[in-house]
Amino acid sequence: MMELDCTALACPMPVIKLKKALSQYPEQQVFCLSLRDRGGLRDIPAFCQHQGLGCELVSEESVLVFKVVRPMESLK
Amino acid sequence: MSGRLSIIHSKGSLDWAYPTFILASTAAAMDQEVELFFTMYGLECVRHHTEHLRVSPLSNPAMPVRFPIGPAGFQKVDWRPWLPNLVLSLPGMERLATWGFKRTLQQQGQLPFDELRALCLELGVRFTVCQMSVDLMGLTEKDFIEGVQFAGAASYLAASPQQQALFV
Repeated sequence: MMELDCTALACPMPVIKLKKALSQYPEQQVFCLSLRDRGGLRDIPAFCQHQGLGCELVSEESVLVFKVVRPMESLK
Repeated sequence: MSGRLSIIHSKGSLDWAYPTFILASTAAAMDQEVELFFTMYGLECVRHHTEHLRVSPLSNPAMPVRFPIGPAGFQKVDWRPWLPNLVLSLPGMERLATWGFKRTLQQQGQLPFDELRALCLELGVRFTVCQMSVDLMGLTEKDFIEGVQFAGAASYLAASPQQQALFV
């Protein structure tokens, strides 16, 4: 699992960091994305669905944590 | 490619530059083909120096006026209702508002404009500058950053999606 800490970044950087990590590390299957931007509650799942990735909200405190896996079907 | 986004950007102020470049970078990250067309004052967004991109509270009646420094309670106060427009028109107010705007963006984790712009180019967003506006503003191609192309309305229309465009 690869950690992507975007807690200090505003929209659109979490999505862009995730996208960059996805293309930079093609072998990596699971990413753990953390962010504070509440817009991410809808944005990250929307992005993941669009990109054919599985996405699970792990924590919804002041920091949002998403587990992102590829491909979508591998999310149990 | 999964879709295309095209935005006509005509504003020459810093606050309006953000929505366009945020949408563009996000769309590019979502594999869309993105075309930004800069016209009129929007040209300022693609010049070498961007310090002249400012924020003017005077021309934005809905813009809150807050101080990005000091105690938290103080920072929350919106001074707009107590500030006559005459005060906002004083020399230096635009600089002050711009400083406050940049500082607030930074506090919220937003990128400085130049970095956001570079990011868009890196993600493959196409920048097209309206040649007519370049001539109108008395500028030349040397005044613009690398990576932009110069063209007119027909090129934009030929390159933009059939049913969607945003105008900022």
